Amino acid sequence: MNNLFPTQEMGSLAKPLWRVKGYRGKPLSKEEITEAVNWGRKLGIKNSDELAKLLGEKDSSGRRKSILEWSARYAIRFFEATGLDVVFDGEQWRSEMYEHVIRNTFGFQFLGYVKSFDYRYFNKAACVDKPRYVKPFYVDEFLFTRENTEKKVKVPYTGPYTLVDWTFNEYYEKRLSREVRDFKRRKFEAKRAFLFDLIKEVIRPEISKLVASGAKWIQIDEPAATTNPAEEEMELFVKSFNETVRDFSCVFSLHNCYSNYEVLAKYACKLRNCSQLNLEFANRDSRQSGIGNTRKGYKEIKLFEEHGFRGNYGLGVIDVHTDFIEPPELVRDRILHVAKMIGDFGRVYVSPDCGLRTRTWEVSFQKLRNMVLGAELARKALK
Amino acid sequence: MRMIGCYLTGIFPRPKELVEATRGYDRGKVDENELEKAFENSTLKVVNAQSSAEFSYFIDGMLKWQDLFRPFTENLSGVKAGSLTRWFNNNIFYRKPIIVGDIRRKQSIVKEVTYTKYLPRKLPWKAILLAPYTFVQLSANRFYKDMAEFMFKYARILREEIEDLAQLGFKYVQLSDPALVYKPIDMSVSKDELNLTSEALKIAVKGTPVTTCLQTFFGDFSRILPEALDFSVDHLGIDLYETDLKKLKEYSFEKGVALGLVDSRSSLVEDEDELVKVAEEIVGSIYSSKMLEVFVCPNCDLEFLPWERAEEKLKVISGVADRLREEF
Repeated sequence: MNNLFPTQEMGSLAKPLWRVKGYRGKPLSKEEITEAVNWGRKLGIKNSDELAKLLGEKDSSGRRKSILEWSARYAIRFFEATGLDVVFDGEQWRSEMYEHVIRNTFGFQFLGYVKSFDYRYFNKAACVDKPRYVKPFYVDEFLFTRENTEKKVKVPYTGPYTLVDWTFNEYYEKRLSREVRDFKRRKFEAKRAFLFDLIKEVIRPEISKLVASGAKWIQIDEPAATTNPAEEEMELFVKSFNETVRDFSCVFSLHNCYSNYEVLAKYACKLRNCSQLNLEFANRDSRQSGIGNTRKGYKEIKLFEEHGFRGNYGLGVIDVHTDFIEPPELVRDRILHVAKMIGDFGRVYVSPDCGLRTRTWEVSFQKLRNMVLGAELARKALK
Repeated sequence: MRMIGCYLTGIFPRPKELVEATRGYDRGKVDENELEKAFENSTLKVVNAQSSAEFSYFIDGMLKWQDLFRPFTENLSGVKAGSLTRWFNNNIFYRKPIIVGDIRRKQSIVKEVTYTKYLPRKLPWKAILLAPYTFVQLSANRFYKDMAEFMFKYARILREEIEDLAQLGFKYVQLSDPALVYKPIDMSVSKDELNLTSEALKIAVKGTPVTTCLQTFFGDFSRILPEALDFSVDHLGIDLYETDLKKLKEYSFEKGVALGLVDSRSSLVEDEDELVKVAEEIVGSIYSSKMLEVFVCPNCDLEFLPWERAEEKLKVISGVADRLREEF
């Protein structure tokens, strides 16, 4: 692994059509199977013909499991081929970051689709009973990834604050309805109770199993961290993070994106055992090369520094919401700008803004490859 | 006129079949005609649900509204749709209006997206629009020199729209104003902004031939008291899941109120007994001498819920209103 400006991915990678349709037991076209084989060749995966054979077989639970393994193997190799230092499996085993955890945990019921924006919806669950750990939901995926790479592995883990924020809280609101009369207070207390029960009963047991299985680095994904910027809520978020990671001998980082960094910056220094903040900046930045005023998208790093955050930054240098392929020189300048701003080159890790699940594999590959090349240029510039 | 009424306060969730149709449309599997048919059927469903619950005013469900801004963002000249932006502290997003020129109204805006043909002929209709303060706060202003100029211009457009709505047959207009009370960091809106809001509301509604309500939500209504008591609207809407009720009860009201007793952001169906008790206490406190109109309603748009839960909540609203009628 590179000691200076190590490169990492941020979680998800698009699921190939053969993975999506194959896992659902739907028939695949010749073109879709050919695509699987072609990517296998491109990535230097041995026996990708076996995958083609598998995809032609009838649906069965064994076939579905094999398809997940193949897509994870492809994604791991995909990341390795781009030259990244830290990899995972592109979350190929997960249906989606929220649903995957909720569906594998007792105490939840999906109520149906609610609007996200326009004609986009998400399937929202309600907590209807005290959450209880049923079975590992990340461990097998981690073990598979570790067995299939020599690179450093980082496990993305959907954080408890986000899971709670995205879930209706029927069980605890009902339970507190007799104890707390004030509606606002009741909702907050119910949220707190839900959050810390979830951490105790589900989140920590899974982390414990991951650590026991050899996980060395877990990335807590908390996109909802600043959704409620009021002080009481932000303090709750901080406590939830600290309780989640308490006493584990493992490296933890926090990923938060498309968020209010003015708010997060105030609280980041209170996060214990948070070695790194994985933040999104490229999306806010200009595409011109250069360091200094041009790099307006990175101005909030200063706030984190001013508020006393002294951990590392997983610096978002790739915008995951556009097909624009960032030139290596632009990546280099983004890295150097921040490294000079904080005055400590060793605190900068290089990442995409977020997971790349909305980009095609072709675009993602070029973006990550240029990110790796840009990090190399930044290292050379400092020599 | 009954003293206790009930109505909806915003966008209703799309029923499952409409969710499927809109998703299909996005994927190219449903055509324009099929989508339109799905919207019409679902609108009928929302109107019927209000009918069954014996609501006092009817909305068409606003199922076509992608967000509370969108008909304005798309139909006012001088405005273009910006990036997706979080709608307050929710996991729902709206397109931020970017103000690039003088905003002008080319035609009736709400009429184009409202299924008036499905609204009951003999019962009163309600329309819902964004209030001046929220519209201005949540837009990116690249044209007007200051907030006042922008707010007053939008208020004049609102007035034109309200007058058109009255002509169409609408009797009640709600102005949704979440930004006025949602202040998680500053805690409250400044006096200057409250004065501007008051002026803008006067421009928008004073003398219009409809009953008007300023519906606040996502924040504490007590923080805009006592100034809000003098706003040029007939009714004031209060989110009871965000408001300090003790403080609220310290004031005496000479306007009607819309009590956001049902929580649109929680799937738990409320207990009627508890809501009746809370409403009685509030009404008893704020109307020390003469009671004015009181509406039982959701605290905000019900679109945060799946359809089935929203439908259940309509029954609670209706039940609470019935019991309060017996009481008062």
